[in-house]
Amino acid sequence: MKTKFSIYVHIPFCESKCIYCDFASFVCAKEIKEKYFKALKNEINDFSKEGVVSSIYFGGGTPSCVNAKKITDILKLIKKKFVISENCEITIECNPNSASFFKLSAYRRAGFNRVSFGVQSLKNEALKFLGRAHTASQAIRAVLNAQKAGFKNISVDFLIGLQNQKIEDLTDEALTMINLNVSHISAYMLQVEERTPLYKMVKLNQIKLPKEDDVIGLYNDFSKFLKKHKFERYEISNFAKKNFYSKHNINYWKMGEYAGFGLSAHSFLDGYRISNSDNFADYFNGKNREKEFIDNKKRIEEIIMLGLRCKFGFSLLEIKNLGFDITKTPSYKNFLNNKIIKEKRGRVYLNQKYICVSNSIICELLP
Amino acid sequence: MNRQEEIRNFCIIAHIDHGKSTLADRLMELTGSVAKRDMQEQLLDSMDLEREKGITIKLTPTTMSYNFNGEDYTLNLIDTPGHVDFTYEVSRSLAACEGAILIVDASQGVEAQTLANAYLAIDNNLEILPVINKIDLPSARPEEVKLEIEDVVGIFAEDAPCISAKNGTNIDKVLEMIVKRVPCPSGDENAPLKCLIFDSVYDNFKGAVCVIRVIDGSIKAGDKIFIMQAKKSYEVTEVGIFKPKMEACEKLMAGDVGYITASIKNISDVRVGDTITNLNNMTKFPLEGYKEVQPVVFCGIFTADGAKYNDLKEALLKLKLNDASLQFSPEVSQALGFGFRCGFLGLLHLEIITERIEREFNLDIITTAPSVSYMIYKTNGDVLEISNPANFPTPVEIEKICEPMVKASLFTPPEYVGAIMDLCQDKRGVYKNLQYLDKTRVKIDYDLPLGEIIYDFFDKLKSATKGYASFDYELSGFVESDLVKVDILLNGEKCDALSLIAHKEKAYSRGRAIVEKLKKIIPRQLFEVPIQAAIGNKIIARETVSAMRKDVLAKCYGGDITRKRKLLEKQKEGKKRMRQIGSVEIPSEAFLSILKIDDEN
Repeated sequence: MKTKFSIYVHIPFCESKCIYCDFASFVCAKEIKEKYFKALKNEINDFSKEGVVSSIYFGGGTPSCVNAKKITDILKLIKKKFVISENCEITIECNPNSASFFKLSAYRRAGFNRVSFGVQSLKNEALKFLGRAHTASQAIRAVLNAQKAGFKNISVDFLIGLQNQKIEDLTDEALTMINLNVSHISAYMLQVEERTPLYKMVKLNQIKLPKEDDVIGLYNDFSKFLKKHKFERYEISNFAKKNFYSKHNINYWKMGEYAGFGLSAHSFLDGYRISNSDNFADYFNGKNREKEFIDNKKRIEEIIMLGLRCKFGFSLLEIKNLGFDITKTPSYKNFLNNKIIKEKRGRVYLNQKYICVSNSIICELLP
Repeated sequence: MNRQEEIRNFCIIAHIDHGKSTLADRLMELTGSVAKRDMQEQLLDSMDLEREKGITIKLTPTTMSYNFNGEDYTLNLIDTPGHVDFTYEVSRSLAACEGAILIVDASQGVEAQTLANAYLAIDNNLEILPVINKIDLPSARPEEVKLEIEDVVGIFAEDAPCISAKNGTNIDKVLEMIVKRVPCPSGDENAPLKCLIFDSVYDNFKGAVCVIRVIDGSIKAGDKIFIMQAKKSYEVTEVGIFKPKMEACEKLMAGDVGYITASIKNISDVRVGDTITNLNNMTKFPLEGYKEVQPVVFCGIFTADGAKYNDLKEALLKLKLNDASLQFSPEVSQALGFGFRCGFLGLLHLEIITERIEREFNLDIITTAPSVSYMIYKTNGDVLEISNPANFPTPVEIEKICEPMVKASLFTPPEYVGAIMDLCQDKRGVYKNLQYLDKTRVKIDYDLPLGEIIYDFFDKLKSATKGYASFDYELSGFVESDLVKVDILLNGEKCDALSLIAHKEKAYSRGRAIVEKLKKIIPRQLFEVPIQAAIGNKIIARETVSAMRKDVLAKCYGGDITRKRKLLEKQKEGKKRMRQIGSVEIPSEAFLSILKIDDEN
C-alpha cells in the first residue's frame, strides 16, 4: 500500500480583516495576488512526494474572495502532480458573502466535495461588530447555493462567547443550519489574541465579553444540544454527523503526514514539522522556512496532546514503543483513579467532562 | 610631639540619610587620600547593595594625612553601619575611636538613630563633635537644630560647623575640629600587645582579614598572636593600613588603625569585639565589651527550583565567610523541600542576605515569613527555644510561651503622636513614656513584642507619619504572652511553610486575611480546593478556590501543531515554579505574599 498524505493550501487574502483575527491573512492589491499565485504554483511544482493524497484543504484567509479560476487552477495542478485517492476529501473555506452560486459551482466542477463556511453567527449585530463582511441572510443563502451546486458535505463555523450571547441564540442559529442539512459544525470560543483590535477594545474596557464560566456554560449546553441532533463531538471544537468527520483534520490529529503550500503553511513530512514564512517577501524568496525534527520525546508529546483532544485517544503501546511508559507515572494513575481519563483496549481517552481543561491535564501527562 | 599625639581616631555617626557617607567622601577628597579621578560616589560603601540602599553594611576604615599648622596628622576614619540591626558592630567601632562626629541634618533635626548613636558614643567615652549638614537645603534651620542637639542629646553644639557635604562647604572646619578636639590615643607602646578586632573581611588569598585598632604594644609580620575569646593562635603574615585600599606596612603600634592577616581560614575565629594579644607576651586584661551576637530574626530559605539546593548551600557558605553573624542550618519543609533555616541580626540583615543570594549567586529563592525565637515551657517541664512555627508543639503540650520584647523609642513631629500610638497599640505595645523635646519633636517610648515589629511595622510607621517618624529599639528580654500557632490547610493538608505564630486576639483576623489572600493567589485547579486556617483542630477561617472550568482551547489551525505543542511545553515549564502541597499546586509567590498582609483586610 502506498503512503497517504494530505495537502493544505493557504490563501492569505480577505476582503476585510475581522477584529479578532490573528491569522496570516491580508487585504491585498491585485499585483500581490498575482505574484502570490505564481509563487504558489512554483512551490507545488517544486515539491515531489510518493504516495496518495487522501485529503486536500484550501484554507485562509478567505479562498472564496479571489477569482474562482485561480483556485480551480491550483487544484488542477495538484491533481496533475499527485496521485489522488478515489474518495479524497477536498475542502474549500468560504465566506458567505463571496460564495456565489457561480463560484460554488465552479469549485464543485473542479472537484471540491466539501465546503466550510465561516458563518460565526446569525445575528447581524454580532457579525457587524466582529467585522465580518457578511450578513445572516447571506449565510443562509450561501448554504443553499452550495447544496444547489452539488455539495453534500457542508460545514459551518460558530463563535461562542460573543457579547450578550445567550444559549437560545446559539441553539436557534444552529437549528437553522441543521435544518438546512449541514453535516458538520465547528464551534470556537472567541479568543482575545494580542495584536488584534479586539484585544485593545477589551483592554480599554470598551466592550465587555461574557465571563469564562458563562462561556463554558454556553459551550457545554451547546454541545448537549448538538448531541441531541446527532452531531458528535469528535474533537474539542468539532461536531459532525456520522460519516462526516473531517478527514483532513483527523489526519492532523492522528499524526499523519501533510504538505502545506503557501504563506505560513505548515507541513509534517519525513519526521519534520516545517513552516513557511508568514511574510510575503520571505515567502516569495523561499526564505525563513522553519524546520524542526520531531524526535521521540516531541512525538510522544504530540501523540498525547492530539490524541486527548479528540475522541480517538492515543495508544499506550505506541508511546511505550517510543520510550515512555505513561502508566507508571503518578499523574496518569491519579487521573485514572479520578476518572479524568479512561483506558479501553490499550487506548487512553479523556473524560468528555474535562475537555475544557484538557491543556492542564495534557500538561500533567507529558513526559 | 610624640607619635601618638599626631594620630586622631574618629568615626562619623548619624541617623540614616543625614549624610554620613557623603561627608566621609569629602574628607578623603580634601586630604588627598584618594585621587579625584578615583572618586566614586560614596567610596566607603563598597558593595553595590550598600550604594543602592544608601546604607552602610560593612565597615571600611581609612587612613588620611592632614597638614594643620605645619604639623602632619594621621586621621583614621572608622565608618560605622547605620542601622539598628548592627548596633553591636557600631559599639565596637566606637570603642576603636577617641572621638565621634555626630552629623545632624539641618532640616530634619535629631532623629531616633542620632540619639541612639550619640548615647553609644557617650557610653564609649568619646568626644562628640556635632556637625550640622545639608545647610544648602532651603528648609535648613541650623540654629534651631543646634538647640535641639543641646536639649535632646545634652551636648554643647553652639560652635558646631554648619556644612554641606554635598557641595563641599566648610569641610575644612570639620578637619580642623577633628585635630583640635578629638583626643589623641594614649596607649602604652611598650606594654604587651592589645588589639581590638572591630571588623573582618574574607579575602580569597589571604584568608580572614582582621580590621583592628592597636590599643597597647605593637604588631608586625611574623609575630605569634593569640585571639583571646576564640582561644586561637596564629602567626601574622601581613600588617597594613587602609588608604582606603589595603596597603602593607612594617608594623602597627599603639594608637594605629589597620589590618592584619594570619592565614585565618574561619572568620568565626575573629569575631568583632575580640582581643588580639601576643602569644609570647600576653596581656592580662582582654578588652571589655565582647559579646557573641545572637540572631533575633529567623526565616526559611528555599530555592524556587528544588534542584538548586546545593547552589544555595554554596551561596550561604560564601556569605558566611564574610559575615560571622549569619547563621543557618538545614531544614526540610514538606511544602518547599530542602532548604535552610537562617538567623539574622534583624530584618535589614535578612533583606540584605536574601538579596545578595539572588543577585550575586543568581538564585531564585523563596523565603518563609520571618519569625522570632520563642521560649516554650512544656507541661512536662521541658523548655524549648523555637524559631520555626512548624516545630511548635501541639497546644495541649504547652504550659506557657514567652516572646522576645524590645524597648522602642520613636521620634516624631507632634501631629503624628496619635497615629503612632494607634500603631503601637495595634502591635500590642505597652506605653512607657512621652517627652516633648521641643515644639517640633516628641519622643515616645514603648515596649513592643519583637515578633510584631518584624512584619510591617516600618512600612506602617512610615505611612502613618508621612515618613517623618524615626524608630530605634533594643532587645529587652522575654515576656509571657498568649500566643497560638495558626496553621494553613490546603485541601485538608497542613502546609508547614505557611504556619505562623500570632497573638490569640489577632489569630482570627490574621488567619482570615491569609486565607483570603491565598484564595486570590492560588490558581484554579482541576478540582475544588478548600483553604483553611486552623488553631490546633479548630478551623477559624475558610475559603474555596473553585475548580477550573476552562483552559485555552486554541485550535490547531492549518496543521500548526508546533505552536500548540510549544504552548503546552511552556505551560508545563510554568508548573515547575509551582509547589505541590499534597494534591494542590501553589505558586512560589504565595509564600511571600503572606508577609504583606494587612490585619484589617
